[in-house]
Amino acid sequence: MLKAPLRIEGEYRRPDEDTLVRAVRAPYAETTTIRGGEATIERRGKARTFSLSRVPELQGLQASFGAMLSGDRAALERHYTIDADGTHQRWTLHLVPRDRALAAKLHDIALHGRGAELRCIETRPVKGDLQRTLLAGAARAARGIDDAGALTALCRAE
Amino acid sequence: MTDPEPASATLRPGARLALALLWLGVLLVAGWAISRHLDLSGDLRRFMPSARTPEQRLLIDELGEGPGSRLLLVALSGADDETLAARSHALRESLAHDARFVFVANGEGGLESFQERLRPYRYLLSPTLDTQHLDAAFLEAQLQARVQDLGSPAAALVEPLVPSDPTLETLALAEAWEPANAPRRMNGVWFDRAGKQALLAIQTRAAGFDPTGQRDAVNAIGNAHDDVRGANPGTIVLSGPGAFSVEIGGRTEREAQWIGIVDTIGLLVLLFVAYRNWKIPLLGALPLASAGLAGLGAVALLFEGVHGITVAFGFTLIGVAQDYPIHFFSHQRTGVRPWTSVRALWPTLATGVASTCIAYATFFVSGVEGLEQLAVFTIAGLATAALATRFLLPALVDPDLRDPAASPRLERLRARIARVPQPRLAFVVLALLAIGVAWFAPGPFWQNDLARLTPVPADALARDARLRTELGAPDVRYVIALQARDVESALQGSERIAARLDQARLQGGVLGGFEHPARYLPSVRTQRARQARLPDPQALRASLDAAVATTPFRTDVFDAFLRDVETARRATPLVPRDLAGTPLQVRLDGLLLQRDAHVTALVSLAGLQRPDVVARIAADAGAQLVDLKQASESLVVAYRERVLWALGLAAVLLAVAVWVALRTPSRAWRVLAPMALTTLIILAVLRACGVELTLFHLVALILAAGLGLDYALFFEHAGDDREEQLRTLHAVIVCSLMTLLVFALLGVSSIPVLRAIGTTVTLGVVCNFVLGLLIARHPHRESA
Repeated sequence: MLKAPLRIEGEYRRPDEDTLVRAVRAPYAETTTIRGGEATIERRGKARTFSLSRVPELQGLQASFGAMLSGDRAALERHYTIDADGTHQRWTLHLVPRDRALAAKLHDIALHGRGAELRCIETRPVKGDLQRTLLAGAARAARGIDDAGALTALCRAE
Repeated sequence: MTDPEPASATLRPGARLALALLWLGVLLVAGWAISRHLDLSGDLRRFMPSARTPEQRLLIDELGEGPGSRLLLVALSGADDETLAARSHALRESLAHDARFVFVANGEGGLESFQERLRPYRYLLSPTLDTQHLDAAFLEAQLQARVQDLGSPAAALVEPLVPSDPTLETLALAEAWEPANAPRRMNGVWFDRAGKQALLAIQTRAAGFDPTGQRDAVNAIGNAHDDVRGANPGTIVLSGPGAFSVEIGGRTEREAQWIGIVDTIGLLVLLFVAYRNWKIPLLGALPLASAGLAGLGAVALLFEGVHGITVAFGFTLIGVAQDYPIHFFSHQRTGVRPWTSVRALWPTLATGVASTCIAYATFFVSGVEGLEQLAVFTIAGLATAALATRFLLPALVDPDLRDPAASPRLERLRARIARVPQPRLAFVVLALLAIGVAWFAPGPFWQNDLARLTPVPADALARDARLRTELGAPDVRYVIALQARDVESALQGSERIAARLDQARLQGGVLGGFEHPARYLPSVRTQRARQARLPDPQALRASLDAAVATTPFRTDVFDAFLRDVETARRATPLVPRDLAGTPLQVRLDGLLLQRDAHVTALVSLAGLQRPDVVARIAADAGAQLVDLKQASESLVVAYRERVLWALGLAAVLLAVAVWVALRTPSRAWRVLAPMALTTLIILAVLRACGVELTLFHLVALILAAGLGLDYALFFEHAGDDREEQLRTLHAVIVCSLMTLLVFALLGVSSIPVLRAIGTTVTLGVVCNFVLGLLIARHPHRESA
């Protein structure tokens, strides 16, 4: 639908156990708050709320983010079958959704990291293009880089 | 008159009992048969007089008390929010296609309610383009927003819509169709502000007027919740007029049942003590049971459906028939054949029954079906009980009953009563006093709000108000009605009112929200105006190309959008017919009532604070604010007026009938004065106690008068013979104790309806008994 992949920058925050905030800073400002089964997207003072049950991949994202950050493997395994490989210095977790509704939309999620740092999330939907979320050191390193190949390498820490 | 005396005289005790049991068996079979054919309707409309004012017509014919009162508010609690949301979802799934419900709303749906077939019409239904042109600037802003949507977590939601609907008009519409003040959503369904209760709003098809239909609906919801919940913890609370009437109906039934059991035991003991014969309770019950069945049968035969109130009032009124066999039993004694004693009583009994039946016949001229049913029920019932006592009971009763005339205790009582003076002047003074008190007692005479008789507990009302605010549910009492020749003018009127109401809402302090038919289907005029504002294909293509060029979108993405706009531009505007089968139709049908020659648009109101302001807005737009409470009260008043007219006529007929039967004015005075005076005294006492009278008091007064007539007739009939006086005294004491037992228990009930009937009749029995002794009794010859 778009001529080129969309690139946005911002940050994820977890102000408390049950909340995930996704704040976009560039190229525009937008804040998404995911809490209690609802996502509220706020842009230029206008908020729109929708239910996560209508977007299962978001539900999965919220759950897995929480589980990742709190190191709760059991919670993660409720939603996904987990397959880990690599070394402590360069690891990858492959998450394949267990829930059928989620699996119909989401192929898998790959989490790439170094040591204690989660550096990149690759979300592969069943339909459409791969979505890449670079985090922490990888996000900092990606500033000013536009080349797709270079970004892929950054994400996978190659 | 010929009696089957020779046959009965030879009946042995075993045969008599067998026949009595056979009679009981026949009654049971008949009862079963009638109950199978009985179409008992709780619909209050059949019991009410026909509507006269437009408000009454709206109330009776079209609303069943308005959309607000058909709404059941449901709160699910007792589990975590995810579980509650899942239950709410499952409840909606299971009830949404149930024919008993108009809609089941829990916050889900929205997009789903917009069918593919109607998609191009979004530009005719949505108000967005009333203030916006589909030009390059608007499209550019919209497309930029879509790019950001695609980069947001909502991407998956928005992406499929973008090619055909880049301005997200379908979402705007779905939002516009949300209830005015929709509650917060959690996990996709409505929750209260605290997030502890999942909320649903369910509209029943059955009118608020229809307790049977409401009970059915309430049970269906309860069962569905049981299925959904399974064995896990969790509670469901239903609120709203329908749920209340079901709850109160159940409570009344339970209390009446409890009272009934105590009554039955008490009556059995009383009858056994009075006659020392264990068969008497059975024999005494047979005429009354026959009366009830005959009454039901006659009504079922002559009318299409029997009203629940007919049955309730009818059984109250035929209670007087319980006295018929008692008079017979008290006069039956060793050495006198049953046929002889019943024949001696028959003229008096027949006078009582005939004049009562003549009085009830006046209900026929009331022109209210409910009252006509009541007349048929009581006349058939009383006649049956009297005839059964006269022609069946003598064959079954044991001839050797104790003669009350031989009781020394009764004789002492009689002697004491005989010494009481019977000053006529005192009764006149008493009557004037009673009239004075009844007339001058402060406070309103009548209570027209029937709901006050079945009060909803205060905590339930508070809960209802809370849920109603949370759900933004419509007001139960007020609704705006707009009458129009056709759908188009009704919708145009609805748009006019909506514009004014919206102004008032924004100013604040008047109302919280409202719902009107044009919200779901704008008038053809509005749809045409919107069509006229849509650009032609070339212009739209040019604007779109200009807009797309400023965004990362590819140019070939929006062909479906171009096609939809062109379809909308050329389409025939939608009319109600086109919405058939969609959830929109359901919403529209509830607000746009189409009858043969006219259409009524309803505007339901929520959070109403200033009815006067809204009434003015409605009047300015050629509509009116209908006060449903006032309309239903005016119906009650009309009903009562009919009853009072019928009663006035009945009183005259009764006096004439008694006079004709007794032949002399002085005897007629003895018989009629006690019941007339009793009626006045009851009225005075009730008024002095600050009781506002209702229809139920009226029915109780009629019963009391009927009882009084019988007591007086028998006291008068006993003449000055000592033994006859003793037997009559015995009979009337048993009769009045029985009635007293039943109605005194009702009088202490916690339910105002039962209490109203109970206290009134209790008072009536006591007064009638005392006054019957004082007025109707002949001073007896001491020389006897």
